[in-house]
Amino acid sequence: MKTIANIAFRNLSRQKKRSVLLGAAIAFGVMIVTLINGFAGAFVSNVSDNFSYLLAGHVFVSGVEKTGAKLDKEIEVIRDDAVLTAALKDAGVPAKYVTRRSDFDGSLIFEGKKVFHSIAGTDLANERFLRDRLVLKEGSWDNMKDPRAIVLSDKIAGKLNVQVGDRILVSLKTAAGQNNAGEFVLAGISFDTGILGSLMGYANIAYVNELLGLASGEYMTMGIMLDDISRTERSATALYDRMKASLQLFDRGVKDEKGATTPFMAMMRKQNREQWNGVKYRVFTLNDILAQVQQIVDAINIAAFVILVVLFFIVMVGITNTFRMVMYERIREIGTMRAVGVQRGEIRSMFLYEALFLAIGGALAGIVLALVAMAVISFFNLGMDSPLFIILKNGHLSFRVPPFQAVGNVLVIAVLTLAAAFFPARNAARLDPAVALRTLK
Amino acid sequence: MGIVELKDVRKVYPLGKVEVEAVKGVSFCIEKGDFISIAGPSGSGKTTILNMIGLIDHATAGEVHIDGKPTAGLKDRELTRMRHEVLGFIFQSFNLIPVLNVWENIEFPLLLGKTRITKAEKNDWIDWLIAEVGLVEWKRHKPNELSGGQRQRVAIARALVTKPQIVLADEPTANLDSATGEQIIELMKKINRELETTFIFSTHDAKIVNIADHIIRLRDGLVTENVRRGEDVAEACAPANTAGD
Ligand SMILES: Nc1ncnc2c1ncn2[C@@H]1O[C@H](COP(=O)(O)OP(=O)(O)OP(=O)(O)O)[C@@H](O)[C@H]1O
Ligand SMILES: [Mg+2]
Repeated sequence: MKTIANIAFRNLSRQKKRSVLLGAAIAFGVMIVTLINGFAGAFVSNVSDNFSYLLAGHVFVSGVEKTGAKLDKEIEVIRDDAVLTAALKDAGVPAKYVTRRSDFDGSLIFEGKKVFHSIAGTDLANERFLRDRLVLKEGSWDNMKDPRAIVLSDKIAGKLNVQVGDRILVSLKTAAGQNNAGEFVLAGISFDTGILGSLMGYANIAYVNELLGLASGEYMTMGIMLDDISRTERSATALYDRMKASLQLFDRGVKDEKGATTPFMAMMRKQNREQWNGVKYRVFTLNDILAQVQQIVDAINIAAFVILVVLFFIVMVGITNTFRMVMYERIREIGTMRAVGVQRGEIRSMFLYEALFLAIGGALAGIVLALVAMAVISFFNLGMDSPLFIILKNGHLSFRVPPFQAVGNVLVIAVLTLAAAFFPARNAARLDPAVALRTLK
Repeated sequence: MGIVELKDVRKVYPLGKVEVEAVKGVSFCIEKGDFISIAGPSGSGKTTILNMIGLIDHATAGEVHIDGKPTAGLKDRELTRMRHEVLGFIFQSFNLIPVLNVWENIEFPLLLGKTRITKAEKNDWIDWLIAEVGLVEWKRHKPNELSGGQRQRVAIARALVTKPQIVLADEPTANLDSATGEQIIELMKKINRELETTFIFSTHDAKIVNIADHIIRLRDGLVTENVRRGEDVAEACAPANTAGD
């Protein structure tokens, strides 16, 4: 068999132009598909990464408390941090950071201008990573030492026409639903990075709690940043199962809620129809919020696969025809080999090996070409303020080819090529040696 | 005892709607170690007969015995194995494998099936054959770098490498000039004596025919002359010594 494979390999170089052409066709298809896969692979991780930094977590826990005589008062709050911290530890979730945030939607007012905006109260001493993602255009993070400091995006600051150091009025509803007002000091203006940049302003949690009427040490959402984003769902399930033992929990994975575009929305809709007493917790993940992102990626990958298959049906026709030609070109040789003692199956193998070498060579070349193209494309910095920010990694288009997908593509090519070569190979094997030897070419 | 025996062998080729009877009932016996020529004009059935002896083609009727054993009804796999182990082939147009060099072409049959010899033995044997056919200087060359005569020498070495009992050569000199052709036949004859390999070659060249120990002349698919060392020989092989079996 080694001999047969060796001859098959050498046969590839007999018609160099033809082999190179077929190999190039295979390489081109694989390159395109690998690029698309690579883009899709990075797309989901970049979007998730960017979101996870701005939302400060991969897995989240929030609490909803029902109080009042008729249980008609609803407050978003987590009052007992210890019980969550313990559950997190017991569940063995590999957390890199744990963040605690309170947030509200309220009006920012400056010299007659008014903007309705989301404000996240964070503990910037602990959420240092936020500084890496949120690049300041003006001001500095040191200004955040002011308890009433706030960082706004370029766009929002522009709408309000505020400068660093200006005082901004805020009007909001407390957690319990009463009107309240306060005053922020603009500490910094961040680059307006697409939709995310203007998603929210960042303030100190102590002051946000004060505005919301929450006690210090209380917060609304716990964000758990994991070491490895791919462990998100497993970690959420572990935490959920752990908490279920002693706490009230909203169901995870609610489905079939009409009109809900994400699992998170479905969860919220179901919650509105429920009644409970005390605090009930919600465990959710980035994926629950960003479900569409995964759908987009799935769609891209399906499209890539369809392209792969279509491209390869075209290439397969070429391969089938080529090998049919090859059979006639080498008919005497086949007859000679059969006479000398090569078995039928070995003739078939010889053809299939040749096809396989072509497929693997072409596919590997395609992957290498794709990697080179990726390196070149991702070399360009599109800037932090690019509207593409959400899909970029530090301003660069990035690619991530999951190895199993690359291997899968090579396997698909190998199988399709073998299928294309199968019938010519079988015909060659079935040749009557007497006929093959008599044929003049 | 005969190593090849044909008993009333016929071969009919379908040719469109009609049939061509290429061999019309041929019987002869070939002795082990002989140098045999199958002679006859074009279309007389030489290739057809050699193909049947070589187990490349099967007889329409009659029997082909190789080394005392009938070959009818053998499966393709078994026929291929016998071609590999018992037979060697030399072709009119050399039929070397173009991607292999001289040494590799000769080695090729040894790489098929089960090998029973060590690497050192194999290398010595191939080197001996290359020296025997006079191609020591050429062993790393590809077939397309050789002359016709040189190619046929490679083919002779290749046919012998598995130490077959019988080597079949269908018009081995037809693509060579007459001087080279004679050298090739002389080389075959020399090896025939040294290794006691049975050689059966076909030719329509009268000059070459006479080198053979045993001449079988054909015309229109029938044997017209069957002479061994100047004497007519019987169609059938002498029966095997019954006491021995
Ligand atoms: N595959 C075939 N189909 C039909 N007829 C065939 C076939 N092969 C050979 N024949 C016929 O059988 C007869 C014998 O052919 P064969 O090739 O055995 O002759 P040959 O003695 O080898 O001739 P040459 O010296 O030209 O090689 C010829 O009449 C030929 O036309
Ligand atoms: Mg002939």
